Amino acid sequence: MRTVFAIVLLAVVGLGIGLALLDVPFGAPKTGIGDYYIEHGREETGAANTVTAVVVGYRAFDTLGEVTVLFVAALGLGAVLAATGGGSEKREVEPASLVLLTGSRFLFPLIMLFGAYVFLHGHLTPGGGFQGGAVVASAFLLLYLGSRGRRVSRTWSTATEALGGLVFVVLGLVGLAVGGGYFLSNFMPTGALNTLLSAGVIPVIYAAIGFKVGSELAGVIHDLVEET
Amino acid sequence: MSFLHDYAYYIGAFGLIFIGLLVVLAKHNLIKVIIGLSILDTGINLFLISVGYLRNGTAPIFSRPGLDASGMVDPVPQALVLTAIVIGVAVLALALGIAVRLYREFGTLDLRKIKELRW
Amino acid sequence: MVSPALLVAVPLGLAFCVPLVGLASRKAARFVPIVACLFNLIVSLRLIPHAIEQPIVANMGGFTPPFSITLFAGPLGLILSALIALAGFVVSIYAVAYIDKGSTTRYHTLFLLLLVGATGVVLTGDIFNLFVFFEILCISSYALVAYLGDRGGLEAAAKYLIQGAIGSGLLLTGIGLLYGLTGTLNMASIAASVGSIGTVSVFVPMALIIAGLGVEAAIFPLNAWLPDAHSSAPSTISAILSGIAIEVGLYAVVRVVFTMFGASSMLLFLVFLGTLTLLVGEMCAFAQSNVKRMLAYSSIGQIGLILFAISIASSASIAGGLFQLITHTLSKVVLFLAVGYMIYRSGSTEISSLEGIGKRMPVTSMAFVVAAFSLVGLPPFAGFPSKFMIVRAAVAEGGALFLVLVALVLVGTVIEGAYFFRVIQAIFFKKRDEKPARHEAPVAALVPILVVVVLIIALGVYPDAITGALNSAASELLERAHYVRSVLG
Repeated sequence: MRTVFAIVLLAVVGLGIGLALLDVPFGAPKTGIGDYYIEHGREETGAANTVTAVVVGYRAFDTLGEVTVLFVAALGLGAVLAATGGGSEKREVEPASLVLLTGSRFLFPLIMLFGAYVFLHGHLTPGGGFQGGAVVASAFLLLYLGSRGRRVSRTWSTATEALGGLVFVVLGLVGLAVGGGYFLSNFMPTGALNTLLSAGVIPVIYAAIGFKVGSELAGVIHDLVEET
Repeated sequence: MSFLHDYAYYIGAFGLIFIGLLVVLAKHNLIKVIIGLSILDTGINLFLISVGYLRNGTAPIFSRPGLDASGMVDPVPQALVLTAIVIGVAVLALALGIAVRLYREFGTLDLRKIKELRW
Repeated sequence: MVSPALLVAVPLGLAFCVPLVGLASRKAARFVPIVACLFNLIVSLRLIPHAIEQPIVANMGGFTPPFSITLFAGPLGLILSALIALAGFVVSIYAVAYIDKGSTTRYHTLFLLLLVGATGVVLTGDIFNLFVFFEILCISSYALVAYLGDRGGLEAAAKYLIQGAIGSGLLLTGIGLLYGLTGTLNMASIAASVGSIGTVSVFVPMALIIAGLGVEAAIFPLNAWLPDAHSSAPSTISAILSGIAIEVGLYAVVRVVFTMFGASSMLLFLVFLGTLTLLVGEMCAFAQSNVKRMLAYSSIGQIGLILFAISIASSASIAGGLFQLITHTLSKVVLFLAVGYMIYRSGSTEISSLEGIGKRMPVTSMAFVVAAFSLVGLPPFAGFPSKFMIVRAAVAEGGALFLVLVALVLVGTVIEGAYFFRVIQAIFFKKRDEKPARHEAPVAALVPILVVVVLIIALGVYPDAITGALNSAASELLERAHYVRSVLG
């Protein structure tokens, strides 16, 4: 009964959306803010990657909100799993095989390096803070899967997480004070296009986000593993 | 046939949204519902990206001087989807945390049996 | 004049500091939300006189709209921001002593982030930014409902999360469609260009967005999650959810309908929906024996009343609806905070277990009575001028239809009076055999409750203190062209 009702409801919604989509042709050139960003993104923000210019330049406030959402989720997960840490039935964890053990120890620094590369070059190539942070966290996941008992210090990961977010907010406030009175304005020199030290405050923000997301997701993995 | 080819992305995105919503509304195992939420999120993100597509367009990155700006896809939906993916992951993580605790408290993941609260 | 960006940035920065403070000292972390809310309250109140003359528009990053995200701090946004800060301030003082189990540092961070999300929603002028801050609000409330880790809380949080996530999905689909149709995300730009697109193509994203926001705004029939969530959360969180979260959801619906789409055709439908929500909420509340669940259904009823008032779309009715919103927030905060300690002392949430508690906790019980009378609409409390303004504006609309609806609203009020009186009767007039000893709630809990009680009485006696600001807020909603001009120039 519920299934039938759901299907009917969805059919109606789908039909409505389909009718509306007749006005949005697929693949046609669109005029709007997208064009402006492609035309002027390079001069106004200094980033070669227009998506980064949009994410951390024009719509940096959204990125601040996004960083906060991830923060909320990590905190919420910690709070839900921490409430009365009861059942400590120590499950027998099968020790990792030799291949996994050696492989994870070898790959861990390489993956971290790659993650750092992704978030530092967010303004030049596809990538950025969130992608780089996720790669760094996957290095920690490999560590948890491979090594016996090697754990991330929860204090350090919480501190890095909070500091990363704080750096982002502080940079925005400095922009408010210094760069002409607008929150999150780009107050650092823009530099030459396509070099690492260009785009003003964008690589700094992405580095802060990269650290934050990496330590945050590592903390989430830690909480889920240690929940018994 | 050409209609299918032209609108393949829209149709695929809506297929995913449809499947995701159906799973969420009709299944009663909590993990299946969470997977349905994940499928729903994927479908919506795919839909958002396809709104910004330009036929034969390239990525909006000026990696060499002198690239033609008019052949680039719209960067705004990509920025929106970046945010939407992160938000989707956040909701999923919290949902799974709650599922873990629910299983510990109730011993089952069947939503029909988790009825502690009276009307 | 400070930038309204500080209203979001400073509490957010302080929220990032709470874990750091908590690493040093768990006790000190409890006071950071108090500081943040006080800051927001002072700044919002300082900015309101400026906003009444000319709305304050702040562009993030210094780019011109519509290519940047704008914060639109008009009278409506700032009044709501002040209300959020006030409720947060009061509840966080109460929570210093009340929250003692679980990971308290995380509780206080999540609490502050909920308020940041709510403030962001009411101040933003960009539809995708609205979505992001709305998600901050929703996700922190999912986590806080589950905070106590008991069976009821976890079940309520799971169901709330699933329904909320579906709502967010619908909202995001609507935003995507809207971007595809108009090419912009700025609310003023969308308002300017929405006239040039065909009606069906505009109707679908609007319906999706309203459905998505309506889940959080607890509009019937999307409010199935509310009774479980508000009754199973810790009392401080119930107070904030009933007092702020659903109001902010309703604000988002109203902003989208009035300013972004200018959809006068939807208004009659919303009037009916509001009346229906009111009646369903009040009737279900009457049938409850669990006092927190009763208060939760009462919140549904009040949201229906506010929606009814605002959808009538005359300046007087919108001002009345906003006044009712303020009254409801203040009253619900007092009700939930008072009930928090009453339940703690008596050991159960059933109304029957509250018998005779008036002798043991006289101050708390008096506060409950004041807030209950205010919600029902008795003078000299704040609920009387607000309900009176709504009824008068609805009758002034004329026509048999509105008279019938007003009659239904009054029926709802009578039902409300009945169930509140039942609780008050249990608290004061039922006797228990044992000699009751006075065991009042701690001072740290009584002070915030009494501050709000004084405010409720003050607004009831002297409503003109805020009617000027409310009328400006009403005209901000009705005058779409002025909004577009302020943002786009």
